[in-house]
Amino acid sequence: MNSNIWLLTFADAISIATTLILASLGAIITERSGVINLGVEGMLLMGAVTAFVVADSTGNLWFALFIAVVVGVVLSSIHAALTVGLRANQIVSGLAMVIFGTGLSQFIGKPIEGDPLPVVIRPLELGWLADLPIVGPVVFGHDVFTYLTWVAAGGASFYMHRTRPGLTLRATGDAPATVDAQGGSVARIRWAHTMVGGALMAFAGAWYMFARAAAWNQAATTNGIGWIALALVVFASWRPLRAIGGAVLFGFSLQVPFTLQALQIRILPPTIVAMFPYLITLAVLVLLSTPRARRLLGAPKMLGQPFVRDER
Amino acid sequence: MMLLGRRIQVEQRMAVPKSAVVIVPVVSVIFALVVGGVFLALTGHPPIRTYLDLLNNGYTSFYGITDTLGLATPLICTGLAAAFAFRMNLYSIGQEGQMYLGMIGGTWAGIVLADSLPPLIAVPSVLVFGALAGAAWIAVPALLRARLGTSEIVSTLLLNYVALNLVNFFIFGSTGFFRDPTTSFPQGRAVAESARLSPLSLFTEKVTNTYPTLFVAVSLAVLLFWFMRVSNYGYETAVYADSPNTARYAGMNSAWLQSSVLLVSGALAGVGGAMYVVGPAGKVDPGLLQVGLGYAGIVVAALARYNFLAVVLAAVLFAGLRTGGNALQVSNDPVPIAIAVVLQGAVLLFALGGELFRRNKVTLVRVQSATT
Repeated sequence: MNSNIWLLTFADAISIATTLILASLGAIITERSGVINLGVEGMLLMGAVTAFVVADSTGNLWFALFIAVVVGVVLSSIHAALTVGLRANQIVSGLAMVIFGTGLSQFIGKPIEGDPLPVVIRPLELGWLADLPIVGPVVFGHDVFTYLTWVAAGGASFYMHRTRPGLTLRATGDAPATVDAQGGSVARIRWAHTMVGGALMAFAGAWYMFARAAAWNQAATTNGIGWIALALVVFASWRPLRAIGGAVLFGFSLQVPFTLQALQIRILPPTIVAMFPYLITLAVLVLLSTPRARRLLGAPKMLGQPFVRDER
Repeated sequence: MMLLGRRIQVEQRMAVPKSAVVIVPVVSVIFALVVGGVFLALTGHPPIRTYLDLLNNGYTSFYGITDTLGLATPLICTGLAAAFAFRMNLYSIGQEGQMYLGMIGGTWAGIVLADSLPPLIAVPSVLVFGALAGAAWIAVPALLRARLGTSEIVSTLLLNYVALNLVNFFIFGSTGFFRDPTTSFPQGRAVAESARLSPLSLFTEKVTNTYPTLFVAVSLAVLLFWFMRVSNYGYETAVYADSPNTARYAGMNSAWLQSSVLLVSGALAGVGGAMYVVGPAGKVDPGLLQVGLGYAGIVVAALARYNFLAVVLAAVLFAGLRTGGNALQVSNDPVPIAIAVVLQGAVLLFALGGELFRRNKVTLVRVQSATT
């Protein structure tokens, strides 16, 4: 019995990691180009609420996911317009996106608050694979998007480290002046990757809505997952594949409070246990910022810096 | 970029004209109202009438403006906190959590110390302990930033969620010190009467929601404005903000500058939380968790362009949106309060975009066919 519930916790951790991977993948792709988008939480909420509303009126899951992605692209292009186009402060713009996205999603979501989900993303039926002991429920009990997310992380890793556009992307984050001198358009690369990143973030929100949430419940729907995804970017040292492992770890720490509650293990009150994911993230951040770790990290060198040719 | 045979020409300005300082925020607000109006119209609420209601309920009616000033009081503090850190390129977004800690620290002082003290000492001691608690909450991120260069953005933010759970723990998760022992209903233990201020009466019989702490908040803004202008410390932070390297070569201690600025920022946000204790709440009140004054403080600071005096105006503007929005929610044609948050976000986005016009001279130039 007890081993079962821990298996379920692991399975849940891997499932919840899907949102974290997607969102942090979006952030990694954005940040590799030298743009930091703190608006992840706003993007997640907007993706979730628009997907819900569209699915509610059309009943079509795929169309709902598509619209969520479009919303992500639109919102992140506002961020790109402000930070790349107008060279506004990336931090403040990202925070504005969080506030704007939170407010707008609550405004849009008001009529559907608490309604049952119009569509649900269900786990795949993988036959005998799912019946395997331990591995079955933990690894083979997920929906198609969870597996696609792993593939996407692999694809992003390949793109960044094994292709020429990926090399240019990393160069844009590290040394935009060099890219510019080679005739590349720093602005275009930053715009494109910010938009792709935003699409992934909004999709992460939409997936979370249909696969993990019970109903739309204002900002509590995502409950700070967007911020954890941002911490995860540092944890993964801006590498997509490492984000998978980190996301599962974070997913586990998000799930453990519920498991302990279910097992009626009350060593600590639930409100204290609920602090753990954030405290663990903080501890990891500290470990990662020691000079030794910093050398190995490889944050984009010009992260957050607008590129101006004549000020070079 | 081409527009009807004309080209948009952007030239960098040497000096920012006085007019842009006023025009850009005003235009930002107008544009935000237009965006909000589109969403209102799409959801079947007449925009103009909704805005007139908002104006009346938030600013021009007696209870509207007094509610607004009451809400603006802690918001000025969190706005000052954000402005103080952001103007040195330290992006602490932990005002929300520091404010909760200010509420906790202030309540502690209000229960333990204030009982035997006259109000003249009890009230300031609540505020001071609020400030200390707020500073303590940012101490770890400040130290990490100064010593290891850990991003203060993520560390301060993570602590917001810890602080939120801490308040929930004190009120809902335990029956400890901060919990009211006289009832099984989960609510905070009240501070001593001497630690409370009564609301301003403003020469009328009516009971307002504005507390004398408003004057403390405004004084803090004036004090900061003056101090950072005349003091050596203000000069050093300004140099550091412009160019950390210059500051280092000039022998300024950057670790000290960074950590002290963050600590003061945390203290300011903490005072905001303590004002909530002295004023309307009188205890650790989880209701504060719903208001989001910490995050709003960042918007206020950005809209004020980190000018301490402008923070006061921006805070009143934002608080009015909130009180007006609250009233709309319960009117005959209920408009979700979230419209206030949408407007806040939109104002900030347009203000950011407006930076271009502040820093640059933007003109439309007729394109000469001979030169193209």
